[in-house]
Amino acid sequence: MAERVEEARETPVEGEAVGVGEGAATGSGHPSVDALRERFGSAILHHEVQAGDEHVVFIVPERNVEILGWLKDEPTQAYDFLKDLTAVDYGGGRPLQVVYQLWSMAHRRELRVKAELPLDALEIDSVVGLWAAADWLEREVYDMFGIRFRGHPDLRRILMPDNYEEGHPLRKDFPLRGRFSRAEQTRRALAVSVEDVYIPQELEIVAIGSRQDGTDQSAGALPSTPERAGGSEA
Amino acid sequence: MGLIQLKGRQERAVQPGIFPGGPAWLTTKLDFVVNWARRNSLWPMPFGTACCAIEMMAAAASKYDIARFGMERMSFSPRQADLLICAGRVTYKMAPVLRRIWDQMPQPKWAIAMGACASSGGVFDVYSMVQGIDTIIPVDVYVPGCPPRPEGLIYGILLVHEKIRGESLTRPELRAEDPERVGKANKLPEVIDQVALPFGNSTSQNRVSGLVSTAAVARPLDRKS
Repeated sequence: MAERVEEARETPVEGEAVGVGEGAATGSGHPSVDALRERFGSAILHHEVQAGDEHVVFIVPERNVEILGWLKDEPTQAYDFLKDLTAVDYGGGRPLQVVYQLWSMAHRRELRVKAELPLDALEIDSVVGLWAAADWLEREVYDMFGIRFRGHPDLRRILMPDNYEEGHPLRKDFPLRGRFSRAEQTRRALAVSVEDVYIPQELEIVAIGSRQDGTDQSAGALPSTPERAGGSEA
Repeated sequence: MGLIQLKGRQERAVQPGIFPGGPAWLTTKLDFVVNWARRNSLWPMPFGTACCAIEMMAAAASKYDIARFGMERMSFSPRQADLLICAGRVTYKMAPVLRRIWDQMPQPKWAIAMGACASSGGVFDVYSMVQGIDTIIPVDVYVPGCPPRPEGLIYGILLVHEKIRGESLTRPELRAEDPERVGKANKLPEVIDQVALPFGNSTSQNRVSGLVSTAAVARPLDRKS
């Protein structure tokens, strides 16, 4: 991780950072940052330059969809590509940061937008409506950090098993080996019914083909058998 | 022993009672033929989850060519497989899949844990990783390395051959499989906790595998005839 560069240091850096934009930068060295400040005012908390030319904008989390939507739809910005959506936990009780890494294909411009969430209020609006790519990325952030995305169509774990109850592994307060003992972890892992996770219909190419002529053979196999889900004790 | 789950046998011809008592001339000759046939036509079930699988593919390719040992037919269905080669790290999310594949393999069957991660979790002593697949399924041979070279895997396969050579029809308990244990962990919870201590599993495997030590198993070429 790049260290956090203070706002004060940003001014001397500004000269060489202009190369990213079209040279018309005024205050911040990044045209989008200036435009954001002008339009949203106090909703733009502060701005950093990291690693020489990477501009990071901190916004208030309550207005993330409004600000990101403007960045996407405004023709002078046109950040139409969500490169990445992730989160960072710096530990020590500091707030979690939700990171939106944006890329504007039209202007060939990059911008990192961060929203800080205090540990006792880990909720933010989903941006799936803006970029469909955010769907699985937000699920991953929810899985790994426990941040809830309001309005997400299908917010559930994506990497860890569905019955995982030890918490959110990428949080700094999460112990490396997990919270449960290895025996309990093994028991819980084996308690998962394979049929519940891997739906036979999903795996069967034949079933998809047969659906076209109306003879769906595997329709009855879709719900998992209850007696298998019950036999979970090690 | 108690740690290792003994494997089941489904052959009708060898129910206990047919060959009572110790091995006799007939049974040892029959053992020899059966074991010869089994070990020279092992069909591997490749359970490749990581970089070890690349080495396993190299072992199957022309230079190392495990077809020399009758293993050219990689069986991508567990129902036609004899030897499960778990090559790579296994997550807890993958554990029920591994167990299911093992349960689906018919007897007689053997398993190789290929590489450090499959054998003991390797460097991944973390929340998401199975600390050695022998907590999930019974393992016959552990192949160390990160990843092991194809020669290493072939040596492990030859150790499986040695193990098969030592089996006998008069000992059906070797292949006994408890239907109650289907889908369950291979070890008792306290044993899993014990082997999951740092470096735990890597130090316990000689005991768990049933081999006193790998050095004690002599390959045919090592023997002084």
